Amino acid sequence: MKLEINGEAKSAMLKYCISIGLTLVFGCILITAQGEKPLRAMGYILQGSFGSVMNIGNTIRWIISSLLVGAAATIAFKSGVANMGIEGQIYIGALSAAVIGYSIELPPGLHAIACLLVASIMGMLYALIPALLRLYFKINELITTLVLNFIAKDLTEYITMWVIMGGQQAANGSASIATPRILKSAQLPIIIKSTTANIGIFIALAVLLIVAFFYKYTLEGYELTQIGQNMNFARMGGVNITRSFLMAFLISGFISGLCGGIEITGAYYRFTSSFSNNLGWDGIMIARVSNNNPIAVIFVSIIWGGLKQGAMNMERMTSLNRLIVIIIQMLFVLFVSIDYDSIINKWKSKMELKKPDYNGGMNI
Amino acid sequence: MMTMLGILFGSVTWSATFRLSTPIILTSVGGSFNKHTGVFCIAFECFMLSAAFFAAWGSYLTGSPYMGTLFAILAGLLLAAIFGMFVLNFKANPMIVSIAMNFGAWAVTTLLLTEIFGVRGYFHSPKIVNFSPIDIPVLREIPYINEVLNNQIILVYIAYISVVVGTIIMYKTPFGLRLRTIGINEIGAQTAGVNILKYKWIGLAIMGIMSGLGGAYLPLSGLSMFSENMSSGRGFLAFAAILVSKGNPVKAALISILFAYTNALTFTLTSYGIPSQLLQMFPFIAVIIVLMIGNLRNLSLTPVIEASE
Repeated sequence: MKLEINGEAKSAMLKYCISIGLTLVFGCILITAQGEKPLRAMGYILQGSFGSVMNIGNTIRWIISSLLVGAAATIAFKSGVANMGIEGQIYIGALSAAVIGYSIELPPGLHAIACLLVASIMGMLYALIPALLRLYFKINELITTLVLNFIAKDLTEYITMWVIMGGQQAANGSASIATPRILKSAQLPIIIKSTTANIGIFIALAVLLIVAFFYKYTLEGYELTQIGQNMNFARMGGVNITRSFLMAFLISGFISGLCGGIEITGAYYRFTSSFSNNLGWDGIMIARVSNNNPIAVIFVSIIWGGLKQGAMNMERMTSLNRLIVIIIQMLFVLFVSIDYDSIINKWKSKMELKKPDYNGGMNI
Repeated sequence: MMTMLGILFGSVTWSATFRLSTPIILTSVGGSFNKHTGVFCIAFECFMLSAAFFAAWGSYLTGSPYMGTLFAILAGLLLAAIFGMFVLNFKANPMIVSIAMNFGAWAVTTLLLTEIFGVRGYFHSPKIVNFSPIDIPVLREIPYINEVLNNQIILVYIAYISVVVGTIIMYKTPFGLRLRTIGINEIGAQTAGVNILKYKWIGLAIMGIMSGLGGAYLPLSGLSMFSENMSSGRGFLAFAAILVSKGNPVKAALISILFAYTNALTFTLTSYGIPSQLLQMFPFIAVIIVLMIGNLRNLSLTPVIEASE
């Protein structure tokens, strides 16, 4: 048993080392091709993300959302739910938080909690739609959640523009479609002055730790993991699959909605149409890069948040576009997804007849 | 009432439907071949967006929409090859590769937009030469049909021809039979002597070429422009069409036409004061309704989960 764990850890280590190495090589090539020095660019990224207290504060603001979407995706994928709709659930949650935030007057503290709670519940309800479609119609949730993302985006924009703003701001571009600013009492307290680092970071960390604890030490968590690994096996083992599947889906939606709520109450203070910038996809990638391990999500989120903040500094200080950082991130995701073990094993058994394993691409 | 009928069945709406279905049909027919080889792929957004960019660029450079389309096809092929390399050779998870590629394509095309044309958001230029409409003399005499089918660009006709050709290849040739066998039973196909890896690569290549064509339609259909995130969900619509039709090109085309129809209604209905955001939701709601109707026979009042197919 112990040897096996060591072997796994070793191959995981190898995987990350090779992918980081490959990403650095390709990243350097990309940056050099743009006529900049890679080390200089990296220096600016580091300076921009962790260089000063203010920069760290702004980085924390991005880490919060990365942590939460990472947690939402981890729960879904660890339990065999292909929830691609995190983006849509974030939108629904964010809009509800904004509406509660500006329209109702409540004492400070309570107001923020109410916002977050409503946001989470709305996100959960939005996740209920694909879950029910899967349960009753057996429609693969992969496609419904994908499509519901687009619907959520348009629906929130519609509600903001035609219900909240009364259809006033026509033809002004989507940037001007926004709800009124939320009240002071609904805003999350800031932890570092003159930045948007808010106490959401503690909520996010708590969520991740709870998730980690849940999967490691509780029976339900174990059952969910089993479903994610082999649904039929779990069924034979007497797990109530329907209940567990629904639970995983709803928790995932709940956390996505919470993420949307924290984005609004902690950073934006108002709902703007198409504000999220593919946050939901980030979550899926963070979860995959960290191999669905909640603790690893924390580290990956720090990198993700740092890159997001640092990229802006890099763009200011050099001639590079900040999109280059996104491209490098994508390269990293691609390289991490490679199954190095099987490639190495293939090399090892090259003495044998060339008989590749044709299963590639079958398992989602 | 008459105006409503005019909107629903008018030649304007159906002409737009005929036109707008092109990119989705092309992509979904190509993806059907890939679907039958059992390679999971949702990177159509990536293929279409990149192809759209290269079509615009190629047309800008050479002044010929045909060269632009060639650029687009090559881009589609190259990206399909990258996808295949990761999924088939490196055994990467196809879903995560697709997501990374979709996202990466957005970043790369937006970056190239600023690097090559020096603009943000969108690039419009008369130098991006469009396809010119083709006038078919035979159709000129028939009143309604003429307005719907005539004077479309060549890619529209290619799309509908590809449905027929794709169906014949898939269901009437030994090649198609072998291709479908892989999807039904991979080990069985291997035992029967089919070179599985070869067929998977062929499926990917067809997907790349067709998505390239589909992407080329976007900038060269009369817009003369490329804008950031131009494919805007069409790749996912194509994926939905493939999934619902289970890889049958004719069914996939019909579903694509439905999506295009809901999309075409958007153009006519916006002038009646219906919010555009609601209209933009139509195709996506149509996806869910189609899925529900398609899965009606699976309906069970006691919820049961089965391992996904």
